[in-house]
Amino acid sequence: MTTPDLDVLGALTRDYAAFQSRKSGLATALGGLMAILLALAALSPDLMGARVTGRLLVEYLVWMPFLWLALKWGVGRVLYRGLGPVKPSPDAAYERRRWFWIQGLALFLLAFLLAGLYAFASGLMQVNPSRAALCPPPLWMLLMPFLYLLPAPWVLRGIEEARAYVVLVGQCMLWLVPFFLLSFWPPRSASLPADWGRFGDLSGIGMVGLILLILVWGALAMIRGWREHHQYLAILRALPRES
Amino acid sequence: MKEGETTPKAILDLDRMVHEPARLAILTVLASAEEVAFLFLQRVTGLSKGNLSSHTQKLEAVGYLATLKAFQRRIPVTSFRITEDGRAALRLYHQQLRALLPKEGTP
Repeated sequence: MTTPDLDVLGALTRDYAAFQSRKSGLATALGGLMAILLALAALSPDLMGARVTGRLLVEYLVWMPFLWLALKWGVGRVLYRGLGPVKPSPDAAYERRRWFWIQGLALFLLAFLLAGLYAFASGLMQVNPSRAALCPPPLWMLLMPFLYLLPAPWVLRGIEEARAYVVLVGQCMLWLVPFFLLSFWPPRSASLPADWGRFGDLSGIGMVGLILLILVWGALAMIRGWREHHQYLAILRALPRES
Repeated sequence: MKEGETTPKAILDLDRMVHEPARLAILTVLASAEEVAFLFLQRVTGLSKGNLSSHTQKLEAVGYLATLKAFQRRIPVTSFRITEDGRAALRLYHQQLRALLPKEGTP
């Protein structure tokens, strides 16, 4: 056995171990696809008011990140069982980057939760009963940020999938905004103009920009996930046959 | 042993437990991860089950690797982990071998 052979053995093991710890690949691609579908759904003007079996469609869609986690687990079990578990050697730099995303998600959710609580505390719901009736803010949604955050340290093993999860959660949280804040906004007859003035223009431009970013990111995630899946297949092909 | 020193004794000093190609491959794989399942180790080294078992037992006997047995969804899974002694032996073997090999450009 020559030195290059040993190098190849070491590299194969490291690559396989890294993939085994994440088992993402197609799951990341799926996350990108889901992010694109969610963004396109948000463009639909009827989405906020749409009801399915008596409940608002958005109330179902905010569970999408958990659906993705379940799909990721399923994909890992069916497609990436491979040749048994191989634990990678600890990589401090990679762990730091992974935790950066998880902490970023935590901060975002915390900020959102505080905003939601503030809206509740301000008692604006009483000011605007018509909007509150259209989008009643269910209290369980206040717990959603915690629910999103809870599985993150255990389930998100790779940077790519952490990004996928953060974008999916971010989108759902943006959808929850109307439940928490906009539904409590003072009625049109009050101080705000009917078209929301400059605030409406700016927030509209901001939302379009955000949706474009999500579309681009989703497409990139699909490409990266698909590429990672092929890298995994290449690792399996590179393994020697039993002698 | 100093670098560049090539004597018959230096060659004989090589750790034969590591020098054997199959065991060298096993230790190289184990040194590249924290814990490796039997099945992967078998595929990556290209050894037969019996051969792999025999070599891992020898390496375990000298304390170069540890065998870990666990159950995953009621299925027994055997994994291996390189010990500190094993890592040190592999490192020393690489150093010795590098010192024994001729320098680049020399015939």
